[in-house]
Amino acid sequence: MLLNVTLSLLEGFGTTLKLFFLTLVFSLPLGLLISFGTMSRITPLRGLIKTVVWVVRGSPLLLQILIIFYGPGLLFDLPLLPRFTAALLSFVINYSCYFSEIYRGGIQSVPKGQSEAGEVLGMTKSQIFFKVTLLQVIKRIVPPMGNEFITLVKDTALVRVIAVYEIIWMGESYIKKGMIWPLFYTAVFYLAFNGILTLLFGWLEKKLNYFR
Amino acid sequence: MSILEVNHIEKHFGATQVLNDISFSLEKGQALSIIGSSGSGKTTLLRCLNFLEKPNGGTISVNGNVIFDAADPATQNEKEIRKKRLHFGLVFQNFNLFPQYTALQNVTLARELLAKERDSESREAIEAAGRELLAQMGLADRAGHYPHQLSGGQQQRVAIARALALHPDILCFDEPTSALDPELTGEVLRVIRELAEQNTTMIIVTHEMAFARDVADQVIFMDGGVIVEQGDPRDVIDHPREERTRQFLARYSEN
Ligand SMILES: Nc1ncnc2c1ncn2[C@@H]1O[C@H](COP(=O)(O)OP(=O)(O)OP(=O)(O)O)[C@@H](O)[C@H]1O
Ligand SMILES: [Mg+2]
Repeated sequence: MLLNVTLSLLEGFGTTLKLFFLTLVFSLPLGLLISFGTMSRITPLRGLIKTVVWVVRGSPLLLQILIIFYGPGLLFDLPLLPRFTAALLSFVINYSCYFSEIYRGGIQSVPKGQSEAGEVLGMTKSQIFFKVTLLQVIKRIVPPMGNEFITLVKDTALVRVIAVYEIIWMGESYIKKGMIWPLFYTAVFYLAFNGILTLLFGWLEKKLNYFR
Repeated sequence: MSILEVNHIEKHFGATQVLNDISFSLEKGQALSIIGSSGSGKTTLLRCLNFLEKPNGGTISVNGNVIFDAADPATQNEKEIRKKRLHFGLVFQNFNLFPQYTALQNVTLARELLAKERDSESREAIEAAGRELLAQMGLADRAGHYPHQLSGGQQQRVAIARALALHPDILCFDEPTSALDPELTGEVLRVIRELAEQNTTMIIVTHEMAFARDVADQVIFMDGGVIVEQGDPRDVIDHPREERTRQFLARYSEN
């Protein structure tokens, strides 16, 4: 029995992890792009992107999942997106907006004197970004990113509302059979994975501790 | 021919006129000190020379070549500016060292990036030159230290070495000691004094009057964005002609 449950929970956790990693793959770079938009000197563009970020961050992720899954069909008579694709799309949009704010905070916290020192030394804009600013930004965003990653792991459970079979869905299916312990068992997976993430981020933070 | 000629520089931020008809020249191997009260435009002037600010009027010439002319957009091309600013070096009031690099890496980074583009010097040559510069600053044993492991005075000396590494024609200092504890100013002033003795062409914005008088061949007193008085330091500092200069210096000798 334990083996059976473990296998079916693992299957659900596979979906959870796939959603987790794919969300990161798309939203980490997209978030950087959005952060440049929110710092743009072109006022209308900056206003537009800031509004989008505000809406996405200000409304529940659960609502966004529902709208992205059912919206196109009900509003425009379009075919439904595959469930997992709809889930991934909502997560990418939501998390790239969160990441963009973390990036923006990181970039703006590097003193202006750093890029000016680079300029005076004849560096190009891209040399300044990659050789001077970037590592200082990374150092500053590692702690908030760590928090965001852990929240993401737990948020993946929301996709059950559009019947994507992630781990909690799998665990819940045992309730019908009169078993509650598989549900507790799902928590073990989350705790183990978040434990690994915590260690990883702790290690990274320490690695970057060689400078202030 | 003067190494630097600044003519009729104007700079305003919005409606505030910060520099008003600034003109002066500097001979090769000479040191110029700029003094003046807070807000008189000294930093802005240095930033204009280093292309961190764009003057609204006037020209800047180095070795007889006009490198900036507010009336001629052709002199303001982004790519050209990158090259032209290498005529100048700038040492900031608060050092602005790159925290993730060691003292030596701070000194060599920009020169390595330039060498990569031009395929000129070897890494080893650049590193040797960097070590030599740090030694000249009295920091031979600090090459591998990160900025946060250095005192303010040591950081500022690394910043001076970093600026010297690119062999600027004119080295500018913006109040190089005013972010330092009093007991650390001496080591930085000593280094600048040595540079003056080796005939480094320099512009030094400073509040250290005694130092300005000793080191400079020429002093400019600025107030409200204009040059009020300029000339030999023994004249400007010891026997000022203008009332405003006298008032400024009197305030200094009081405290
Ligand atoms: N980016 C800016 N935008 C608007 N005003 C500015 C800007 N930079 C400088 N100013 C103004 O220009 C004037 C001259 O400033 P500047 O920093 O050049 O003076 P300073 O002589 O270096 O003073 P201090 O001795 O305090 O360093 C000040 O009134 C300042 O408020
Ligand atoms: Mg200043």
